[in-house]
Parts: sequence; structure tokens; C-alpha cells
Amino acid sequence: MIGASKGERIFYVCNYLIFIVIMMIMIYPFWYIIMGSLSDPTLTMGGGFFLKPVGFSLSAYEAVLSNVNILSGLRVTVLSTLFGALIGTFFTATTAYAISKKRLRGVKFFSFFILLTMLFSGGLIPTYLLIKGLGWIDSYLALILPNAIGAWNIFVMLSFFRGIPEELEESARIDGANDLTIFFKIILPLSTAVLATIFLFIAVWYWNDFFSTVLYITQKDMWQLQLVLRDLISNTSAAISQAGVAISYQTEVNAFTVKMASIIVGSVPIMAVYPFLQKHFAKGAMIGSIKG
Amino acid sequence: MKAVIRTPISSPAERRKRLWKDIVRDKYLYLLLFPGIAMICLFRYAPMYGVVIAFQDYNIFKGMGGSEWVGFDQFTRLFHSPDFYEILRNTLLISIYKLIASFTVPVILSLLINELRNMTFKRFTQTIIYMPHFVSWVIFSGIIIAFLNPVDGLFNFILKGVGFSPIDFLNSPTYFRSILVISDLYKEVGWGTIIYLAAISGVNPDLYEAARIDGANKFRQMWHVTLPAIRPVIIILVILSLANILEAGFNQVYLLYSPLVYDVGDIIDTYVYRVGILQANYSYATAAGVFKSIVAMVLIISANWITKKFGQDGLW
Repeated sequence: MIGASKGERIFYVCNYLIFIVIMMIMIYPFWYIIMGSLSDPTLTMGGGFFLKPVGFSLSAYEAVLSNVNILSGLRVTVLSTLFGALIGTFFTATTAYAISKKRLRGVKFFSFFILLTMLFSGGLIPTYLLIKGLGWIDSYLALILPNAIGAWNIFVMLSFFRGIPEELEESARIDGANDLTIFFKIILPLSTAVLATIFLFIAVWYWNDFFSTVLYITQKDMWQLQLVLRDLISNTSAAISQAGVAISYQTEVNAFTVKMASIIVGSVPIMAVYPFLQKHFAKGAMIGSIKG
Repeated sequence: MKAVIRTPISSPAERRKRLWKDIVRDKYLYLLLFPGIAMICLFRYAPMYGVVIAFQDYNIFKGMGGSEWVGFDQFTRLFHSPDFYEILRNTLLISIYKLIASFTVPVILSLLINELRNMTFKRFTQTIIYMPHFVSWVIFSGIIIAFLNPVDGLFNFILKGVGFSPIDFLNSPTYFRSILVISDLYKEVGWGTIIYLAAISGVNPDLYEAARIDGANKFRQMWHVTLPAIRPVIIILVILSLANILEAGFNQVYLLYSPLVYDVGDIIDTYVYRVGILQANYSYATAAGVFKSIVAMVLIISANWITKKFGQDGLW
């Protein structure tokens, strides 16, 4: 800080202090949960302010990871995330590529057709009745297909495809390539960054989805992980609020560390892909916030 | 741009021939387009058609074709129901509070982040504050419950420690809306700074130098240089969020509310879900949904128009 005045120096120091406080506020809840989950269940009755585990026990993780509902929820969520994000990314790309071609007859109509879905939506009940009408209650299709592609991602990808120089395609066309070859051999390999971004965003959406299960799934062995976690995390507090009194002390004591461990199990995968997300999301967020 | 020279087209027959030739030429593009359009037709347009049940007395056994048409009766019922004013008021209040919070705090925060000179510290800060955005509302609501519940929640542990009686925050109408606003701010504040930081990084450094030479201190530089520079971005974001004013955050409310706080926390979306899905009042709930969709559409179209008036790129 060469040439910084005294006032400026005070400002810089205060600024760092402000951010150190903000970081502590941002980190502590997660820290609290981790420490709570590692604590000894018999020592955490009534909660506490943890800076380190109270006692030490992995019993909560054993309980969570051996819970059959967690295991089936994990399977359902991994599968629906994988298929949802693959299907979503692929068809978002094909659709966006086609409407990026101005020479295509009817392209204005198709763009408007997609845009209109951003302006008006049928809403919850008609969508629910549609899925029910298709016979998809208790079907994995209901967890995967309805939200795979959306106007938003199509337009993000469209703006990327528009930026690819036309000449690349022209030279391939002269060599006798058709539109399919150009799309798969030239466009997709050039678009890995935007494909990865869209894939991750869709995948995070599917990973975090619980409401599709609420709406369309009745069998507990087909629940998505988030709803299973929801069940584990909040059943005690829901029981309290409904009965108006605290439920049996013993259940509550045991539930505390299990709840904390459930929260950790549910957020670890997101934390694991977070570095990759962070690499790409700034761009996605930029386009995202400007456009809507 | 290559100039495409087209010979004047004489007859409709010739025009049809050319259209057909173009379609054959682009057959693979149509092939690529088809699955996406088909999915949008099925999952977006079919429900749009499905809103006709708002004008029926829908019966699940008779279906859309066999149910009785009742005109605007469902809407009349809705607008005469005291529930309607309650959910509309809650939706608007919650979303206006969130809007105020989500426009002041991220702007201030990005001004301050911009002044962090140590790049490692700055990047670390950003990494930490963006993270909650990606955590699901299920997990985040779990954390909120872990902090606020009356039995073993941290806040109540502290309250008890200093001699107060515990408070059931989440079931208290006094605190519920504040919890929604604060937890939403906590989760999204970092994410909200991204766009402002990008705008700030585009400000010409010479302007700061000039301001300094004129004797402006840090706060005056922020006020007179940085803020005016990012004003267009702020205006657009405010306009676009106003267009989403009826989105008060379904997942968050659904995961945190309980019958004890319906008075202050029930919003249009949760009402539609409860009345429509749980109580199977399909037509009535659809009418409420249609009300929301139409208001949203009018707002988005107006927002787009206003954004263009400001000389910015709109949505279309």
C-alpha cells in the first residue's frame, strides 16, 4: 500500500476484520454440524456450543450409513441425477444448436415457442395431473424427464453456439460433412466448457431435488435422498411442533448426532464437486442474472 | 455478413418448392431439434393446456373432457376467500423483504470485496461465501432447525445459558418471516455479489486515480465512481426481480413452515400445493396458480419493456 494515507490504511484493516467476521459467520454453522455429528451422543443432550467434538463417536455415521432408506435414497438420487443431467445436457445442446442456425426454416417460431415457456407456466396442479395421467406415479421417469430441459439452459447454450465462428463449419461442409457430423465432430468438442457448466448446474438441481418425490412417489424405497434426509433431520422437530411438547427424552438425545450426520452425508457430494462448479459458474451466473 | 441475393419469387408453387428444398437440406437440424421441442410440448405446453381445469369443476374420474364447465366460478370463490388476501399479503411481504435485503447487502459486500488487496484472501472469501448457494434447502433447513429448535438448538442453548427461557423460533409468528428473510440472505448473498463484482471489474482504474487526486477518500470513491458505474446493472436486476415478486421461495417455506405459522408464512405456492394436491381441490388450486402465472407474465413483459427503455438488452 505505497502512498496509502492513514485513513486508507485504517479502512483496509477494518475491511479485513469485517471479512474475517463474515467468514466466521459463514463457516461456523457447517463447523457446528460437523462437530456435532462427531460427538458422543450421550454427551450432547440439550445441545451445546461446539468448537470441537464433545467426546468422540462415529456411531451417528454408522447409524446413517446403515439406514436402508439412506442407501436406497442414494441409489435413486445418483441414478436420477446422472440420467437427468445427461439427457438434459444432450438435448439442451441439440435444441440450442438447431435454433442457432438462422437459415433454418421456422427458426423464429421455434425460438418463440421455447421463449414462451419462460413467460407462462401451467403451474403445479396441471403438471401433476399430466404426470398422473401418463401413469408415472411411482415411476423413475417422473423423477428424471419433466425437468431435464428448460428454456433457460437452451438460451445460455444458444448464446455460446452463436459465438463459434461460421468458417469452421463451412470448411467441414466443403469436405462433405453433414449437419450431424458437424454437430458431433466439431461443435460438441469445441463446447466442452459450456457443456460441463450446464451438466453441473442440472446435476446440482437433481441432487437437491426432493419435491418430485413429494409429488410423484409414494413408495419409500423410491424416495430421493434429500427427502429421506429431510425425514431424518426434521421428524423430531415436526413431532414437537405438532404435539406441542417435547417427545421422549431418549429419542431426542439419540437423534441429535444422527441429524447432524445426515446433514453432512447430504452435503458432502456437493462440496466434492464444488471446486469444479466454482471454476465454471461465474460465467453461468453472469448470463443467468442478466437474463433473468 | 454475406449478402444473400435471392431472385424475386414469382409463383406460390415456386415458393413451396424452395421451402421444401430448404427443409430437405436441413433435415438433420430438424432431427436435432425434434426431441427438445417434443419434451417442451409435453412437459411445458400440455400443462399450459391443462389450466382449462381452472374453468371447470374438475373431477379426477371424469377427466378434463367429462368435467363440468363452471366459467369463472373458481376465481370468484378464490377472490372472495379470506385465504386469498392472506397468502397474497404473505407472498408480497416476504418477497419484498427479501428483495430489499438481496439488493442492499450484496452491493455493499461486493464494494468491500473489491477493496481486498490480498488476492489469496479475496479468492478464499469468495469461495466461502458462494458455497451456501449450492447447498440444498433440505440441508440448509436442517441447519436452521439445528440452530433454532427449542430442545437442543444452539440459540436456545445460549438463551438458556444466560437465564432466559427457550423460544420456539420456527413456530412463532413473530419470528417466522425474519427467519425466512435472514436465512435466504445468508444462503444467496455471496452468489448475489458475482454479477456486481464483474461489473466493478470493468470500471476504468483511471477514474479512481482522478478521484484520489481530487482528494476523494475511499468512501467518496465508492460513492462517486464505483456505484454510478454499476448502477445500470443494479437497475436491471431490480426490475427483473420485481417481475418475480410472486416467487417468495416455495422450497424454503415448505421445508420450514408449520400450521402454527400459516398466518404469516403461507404463500401462494404452498397454498396451491396444500389445497390442490393434499386436499385434491384441483380446479380451485389451479385457479390460484393461474392468477399467479398471469400476474407474473404481465410483470415479466413490462420488465422487459422497461429494461429496453433503459437502453439495455432485455430478455428478448
